[in-house]
Amino acid sequence: MMRRLALLVVLLFCQAGAWAHKASDSYLVVDAKGATIAAQWDIALRDIDFALGLDHDGNAEVTWGELRARQSDLSAWALSRLEIERGGACLLKVSSLQVDDHTDGGYAVLNITGECPEAAGDLALQYRLLFDLDNLHRGLLRLTLDGATHTTVLSPTSGKVQFSAEQVSRWAQFKQYLMEGIWHIWIGFDHILFLLSLLLPAVLVVRMRHWQGVERFGVALREVLWVVTSFTAAHSITLSLAALGLVSLPSRLVESAIALSVVLAAANNLWPVVEHRRWLVAFGFGLIHGFGFASVLAELGLPADALALSLLGFNAGVEVGQMAIVAAFFPVAFLLRNTRFYLRGVFVLGSWLTMLVALVWLIERAFDLKLISA
Amino acid sequence: MNIKYCQWTFRLSVALLGTLLAVPVLSAPRTPIDDASVIERLPFRASDSRSRALADLRANVLKAPEDTSASVALAQAYFDLALARGDPRYVGYADAIVTRFGTRMDAELLMVRGMLRQYRHDFAAALADFAAVLMLDPDRAGAHAWRGAIYLVEAQYANAREECAALLRLQRPVLHGGCAGLAQAYTGQLAGAYATLQQALALTYADDQRLWLLTRLGEVAAWQGQSAKAERHYREALALGQDDGYLLAAWADFLLDNRRPTEVVKLLASWEASDGLLLRLAEAEAALQLPAASAHIQALDDRFAAAKLRGDTTHRAEEARFQLRLRKNPAQAVELAAANYMVQKEPRDLRILLESALAAGDGKAAQAARDWLQRTGFEDARLRALAAQTLQLPTSTNKSGGTP
Repeated sequence: MMRRLALLVVLLFCQAGAWAHKASDSYLVVDAKGATIAAQWDIALRDIDFALGLDHDGNAEVTWGELRARQSDLSAWALSRLEIERGGACLLKVSSLQVDDHTDGGYAVLNITGECPEAAGDLALQYRLLFDLDNLHRGLLRLTLDGATHTTVLSPTSGKVQFSAEQVSRWAQFKQYLMEGIWHIWIGFDHILFLLSLLLPAVLVVRMRHWQGVERFGVALREVLWVVTSFTAAHSITLSLAALGLVSLPSRLVESAIALSVVLAAANNLWPVVEHRRWLVAFGFGLIHGFGFASVLAELGLPADALALSLLGFNAGVEVGQMAIVAAFFPVAFLLRNTRFYLRGVFVLGSWLTMLVALVWLIERAFDLKLISA
Repeated sequence: MNIKYCQWTFRLSVALLGTLLAVPVLSAPRTPIDDASVIERLPFRASDSRSRALADLRANVLKAPEDTSASVALAQAYFDLALARGDPRYVGYADAIVTRFGTRMDAELLMVRGMLRQYRHDFAAALADFAAVLMLDPDRAGAHAWRGAIYLVEAQYANAREECAALLRLQRPVLHGGCAGLAQAYTGQLAGAYATLQQALALTYADDQRLWLLTRLGEVAAWQGQSAKAERHYREALALGQDDGYLLAAWADFLLDNRRPTEVVKLLASWEASDGLLLRLAEAEAALQLPAASAHIQALDDRFAAAKLRGDTTHRAEEARFQLRLRKNPAQAVELAAANYMVQKEPRDLRILLESALAAGDGKAAQAARDWLQRTGFEDARLRALAAQTLQLPTSTNKSGGTP
């Protein structure tokens, strides 16, 4: 033994360190909101195999069936190595098992839910997955505590971490919801497409069944302001009603109606029915879109102590995001309004495209299918 | 422009919609439909001889958890596997076994811990562990060999030569030859180094030792500019038929330097799992403008990002090479190469420092490298030419230029 060891020394030293797969990591994302915990824990299948043995038939391949068969062992093993405390130990359980791929192979994804004894105060987390087997293992933690996000690397010497629930200032809270509002309009393609469908013809006017550019800037601007203002007013009303829990509609219905609104708004550009009072359309469908925003807000959760302020922040954020889109779109559209590019390319083609995309959404949402975002 | 739609707009929008639908989906948690779908491939079958050997070693440890020799055997087996397969998970396994003993360390356990620490580039702690071994067992050749190896990486050649001398005193001529040969090579005596390594080679029939010595002979010959000789040594080493990451990397570098990327693509096709070899594969593919290059560059990007996330800095030399040659980002490359050079000072570390300093126009970084060349007298013509080119650079910190 001794001799072999010594022989290997020089042989091996130069390889050391440099030629590596990735060492073992798990990815733990925890969202603690009041007393409620929602977490996603990605653990490498190789690590699970090393700790528990997954390859039942010994063919060096782990199948979904082999993993599923060990789901309860896996949950028990993982949860015995993670503790979250807020006013005492939080009760965690694995609600579902999925899989994902990271740079170094397949991972099991444990979706975890939990309840803590207290809804406020500091939160402590103790992590010791695999530390008994693999001293280089690390837990990469992203923890959101009542909206404030912390990240840290958990190692055998720093497996226990404490996060203090800072008293978030009112202004910070308002700002956070403002940002969420802006962010949501930016990623909410259905809202953007709806708005754009209504705005595309704002720089045009119908003369003898042909579209052509309006003559004065003021006319176009007034049209834009009417449309945007009535859309905002309408979705603010329903968003507030829904967020305060006064009205609630099934989300599938709301989402389908939003898709339908985009279809109709785009179709109206191709076969105009409503030519003048588009602000009425904006208002009517804006009511529906408000319910859509409300579901996002419900996911974010509204702090009980600053309900009105957060609601106002989110509404203002949506508004700011909207204005940014309008400010980028409108001057360009006005300048190009008489070009073939705008009339054919942007207006007609854009409306067609919008309508088709929205139709797919409508079918997806109405029949609960996955066509685009599968 | 008629309000009625034109046919072409309809067709075009359908086509665009099709494109939209075809956009690939980002990775996200999924629920497989089929129980038989394979979600991961493991390195070994349970019936593999290596798996069985490991299982036996594990069983021994379970039977006698306090028996250090059982634990050392298992930890050593994991460590060997880590090096053969380029997989750091096994280093973590070995580390966990050793850590279990806390402060109750004997010489065997300290040896293993020292190796694991040097693997993580914690050279000071590793040197201390090997020193502790020598306090317990002054005749332990392995501890001297490791200390010599670490001193060579740190460019502390006087200390390294002391350790080489100890190996000679302990009558370990092959280990001594490897140690002394490298010390000669790094300090400007390539001809002497070549002779020393060859003498050591003549003394051993062990495949693992021969493989290592042949690889180093190949490197020395390449530094001497003797390509044919270098190629012969590399091929002899390859002919031994052992998996060895270091050999494959050195051979691939030789081929890349000699503009033979096609052979690298063939050589490394099945070694994507190792970051160091994937880097060379991607370089070869980029040189040949193969479509596979972009996916491999992306994979490397992801892996470096993942390493950064866990605070791992052991791959900086390779990341520098990646940034310089594949990402064409000399500013970042020189930063990484300089940080790496603070820890490791072997010819390859020096080379990437010079190359990226030159590309980034960073005179200060080049100065450090030229000082090393001057101090050691290292003879590699390629490095000397690079160093001469960097003389044009301003010595003040100027990172604005980008020349490649």
